[in-house]
Amino acid sequence: MNGAEQEAPADFDEAMYLQLNPDVAGAVAGGALASGREHYLRYGARESRRYLPASGETYEPVVIAMATIRPDGSRAPLPTAFGMEAVRMSPGGGVFVNGWIDDASDPLAELRVEGEGWAADLVPVSLARTRRRDVEQKLGSAARHPYGFWSFLDLGRVVPRNASCRVMLRLESGAGVTLTAGVRAVPDADLRDAVLGWLAGADHFGDPYSAAVTCLDGGAGAQIVAHNRRLTAGIVANPFVARFGPQGGKPRGSLVVCLYGRPEFLFVQNALFAGLPGMEEYELIYVCNSPELNDRLLRDARIASLIHGTRQTLVLLPGNAGFGAANNAGVAHARSDRVVALNPDVVPRQKDWARRHTEAVELLPPERTALFGVPLYYEDGSLMHGGMYFDIDSVPVERGGSLVRRDLVRVEHYGKGAPAGDERFARARPVPAVTGAFMSVRRDWFERLGGFSEDFVFGHYEDADLCLRSLSAGTPAWLHDIRLWHLEGKGGTRSLASEGASFVNRWQFSSTWAASLREGLLGPVPTHPLLAAP
Amino acid sequence: MKVLILSVFHPDLVRGGAQLVARELFEGLKQVPGVAPVLLASTDRSLPALYKAGACITGFDGRPDEFLFLTNEMDPWWHKCSDPRLVEAYAAFLEQVRPDVVHFHHFMTFGIELLTLTRRVRPACRIVFTFHEFLAICAADGHMVRTTDGSLCDHATPVRCHQCFPAIPPERFFLRAAYFQAHLAAVDVFTVPSRFMRAPFIRWGLPAERLVHVPNGQDKPPDAETPQAPRARRARFGFFGQLVDAKGVWLLLQAVDLLRAEGFVDFSVEINGDNLRYASEARRAEVERFVVAELDRPAAERIVTFNGPYHPARIGERMARVDWCVMPSVWWESFGLVISEAWMCGRPVIAPDVGGPAERVTHGRDGLLFRFADARALAETIRRAATEPGLWDRIAAGIAPPPPRAAMVAGFRALYAAASDQSGEVTTATRGGGPNRSRSSAAGIGRQKR
Repeated sequence: MNGAEQEAPADFDEAMYLQLNPDVAGAVAGGALASGREHYLRYGARESRRYLPASGETYEPVVIAMATIRPDGSRAPLPTAFGMEAVRMSPGGGVFVNGWIDDASDPLAELRVEGEGWAADLVPVSLARTRRRDVEQKLGSAARHPYGFWSFLDLGRVVPRNASCRVMLRLESGAGVTLTAGVRAVPDADLRDAVLGWLAGADHFGDPYSAAVTCLDGGAGAQIVAHNRRLTAGIVANPFVARFGPQGGKPRGSLVVCLYGRPEFLFVQNALFAGLPGMEEYELIYVCNSPELNDRLLRDARIASLIHGTRQTLVLLPGNAGFGAANNAGVAHARSDRVVALNPDVVPRQKDWARRHTEAVELLPPERTALFGVPLYYEDGSLMHGGMYFDIDSVPVERGGSLVRRDLVRVEHYGKGAPAGDERFARARPVPAVTGAFMSVRRDWFERLGGFSEDFVFGHYEDADLCLRSLSAGTPAWLHDIRLWHLEGKGGTRSLASEGASFVNRWQFSSTWAASLREGLLGPVPTHPLLAAP
Repeated sequence: MKVLILSVFHPDLVRGGAQLVARELFEGLKQVPGVAPVLLASTDRSLPALYKAGACITGFDGRPDEFLFLTNEMDPWWHKCSDPRLVEAYAAFLEQVRPDVVHFHHFMTFGIELLTLTRRVRPACRIVFTFHEFLAICAADGHMVRTTDGSLCDHATPVRCHQCFPAIPPERFFLRAAYFQAHLAAVDVFTVPSRFMRAPFIRWGLPAERLVHVPNGQDKPPDAETPQAPRARRARFGFFGQLVDAKGVWLLLQAVDLLRAEGFVDFSVEINGDNLRYASEARRAEVERFVVAELDRPAAERIVTFNGPYHPARIGERMARVDWCVMPSVWWESFGLVISEAWMCGRPVIAPDVGGPAERVTHGRDGLLFRFADARALAETIRRAATEPGLWDRIAAGIAPPPPRAAMVAGFRALYAAASDQSGEVTTATRGGGPNRSRSSAAGIGRQKR
């Protein structure tokens, strides 16, 4: 590095400079200059050339320079056609690349990306292929070939902002191209959501679900889960904790509620739980995954404790950590030996539910209360949940040019929609799993199991996963007849990111448990010995 | 006995029936030996200077025992207080006043959770709650009129309410009802001004034995006896009230249009009231079009006159200008204070055949009833009232005095009776509520219905 380069402005952006100065980009592409930075230092600064966009100006990353080289450095022919469309990076080390390439007859063999202090070939890590109708049209191709590609890489560490990176595309024939591409910096959560949206929204030949599984199996799944885990860990690392109401003594139980987007559930649950028999021995812990609600929740918690005298704790997170990590963060601030994961839209149907719960914990054999759920009801009175069981959908997915069988686990609720008077599903019994909408767990058991898994994005399957880990450790989940409402609705329109998360979560859960479930845990009447009726 | 009356707005600041009744009660209780009433009335931002810096509760214009609750924004769905300082100030106010009875005239603008707080701060006090409409049950302004077709609703369920508000899922209505009922569980006695209101509230889940009918009472306005000359024809009709949709001035104007179209024009209508700005856009436009068209007519052809707002104490003067008081309301009308006002001024009433009016008015004896929300039926009733010889005299003679303030005060005092007038202590044998009673869960009310 020469002295001139050391004097370049700290915020100099190579990609942006070349984009704003196409004549320079052409000179670099033609080999007359090594880089835009060199041009800026030698000429551009003196010519008052811009290297940052004007206020309000936006830009899209584009291919800004290219040269055709072989790995040995010699020149090679360009691929027939290709397009690098975006390279996005997040500060936490997420790299998302997407584009297209006409490699129907000469397959893409290497997609190497190099930034400052890092480099990776994305093909073995996670290369997903998608259908691109626009490319088909552009190429005039009727081939059933997925021209699109995308890849997500979690570098596993914080990386400095990269203004640009080098991308090398190489085909099996050895032909290739090396590009300098501008990098768009995006926050970690935004990048995750973009990848999830890409996963859910991509076009495919054949069944989109199977195609998504193929993408996830190809490495994207592991990278997304790893990235999300690190993102989540950062969110829950230093929560803001505020306590309200009387704090003396040790409560008999801690109701841990994860709030997302809907602050009113705090004061509604306070109103519907407070004052019921036995409830005075419980504390409420609200964990907030929506930082924009923090001020409102602090006010409402203060009011609720004034009104009801409830003992409660607010655990405020700086982002959405998802169900598992948020509940784990809540449990960490619990003051009792019994934690109850509770959905915000779950409220008592039996006014003595707390007393019944306490009696169950104290009087029943401990192995039946280590982890248990309860029957939950829709507001129309019919059963919403009487325990959960598993089934498997087998789908064909493409792997190495052929179709292979892939097992995707489906979680079903016993008796969903059954009349309120149907006691079959409300009776006490061991069940394969119970919903996290109400899950009572002995705290030391919860901690020994490692708490809720944080491998799932936003939330889903953590409850079943915990129950299966408990079962694997020798203690099945139970259902005890303590009745509450679960005012679950249709749910709003899901974003593409949420759709993508549900793909990832089912893929993750299935990858973890499908094989084990085949050992006597499938169907509404599983044969697993620990689930035998007492 | 110290009685704290909570009034939704102060009637001298914001007009409305509920606050008028609360003030009548306050004034009436002041006349009762051994009773010390205190009025805590909310206000709104129409007079921002009343919101003294840092204050939550202040006095009101130097009046003894009258206070203003300086409410802030209110959640129109949950009716929840959003400011912890207001909650704390109310709790402190309770400690200062130490009432034996707290009588809520509504939860709106205060926050329904103040019921529960009252019970916590004054566990032995008697809490009375007066419903002035069905807001606890019905999210459609408490009118129990279906938004789908304007028909009357007699019971709320999550799905029925969802039909009225398709953007809100059924479970939200279930939760709203549960939330309201949880706070209303702090109340010892509920009152309604008309008997018919008991049925919807009982069906909704309130205990019948704690739901009492106490009619609104008020004394004659000072100008009720405004003298007037005898008249051969009784064809002058008057509307008194707010020009909002539910009060149905638009229905009256439709009836006028129908009669005019039939060539019947030998009658007059005077509209007294304001707040057209609070009407729906469609109804406001409808009324405004009528006003413009009416003003475009030659003076001799005009039937309708718009007199603007009036002060309640001067209603007698306005009543003296008409023969009949028309009440075209298109909701249940919980009581109909204007019926009392008309009767106190010797004016027969033309009212819909439902709810409070139907309970109070006997068709053909002390008033005329017409089919609810039916402009044609109203038009026919107006024509009959204007043309049938002797009808006005017969019906005017049949009017009985409406309940006076003293009757209402006596009715409420009977409900306060469980509270001691000395110590503030009550016996558990006579008290319906209290800190240790078993609270019916909101969810439980829904369960009973099943």
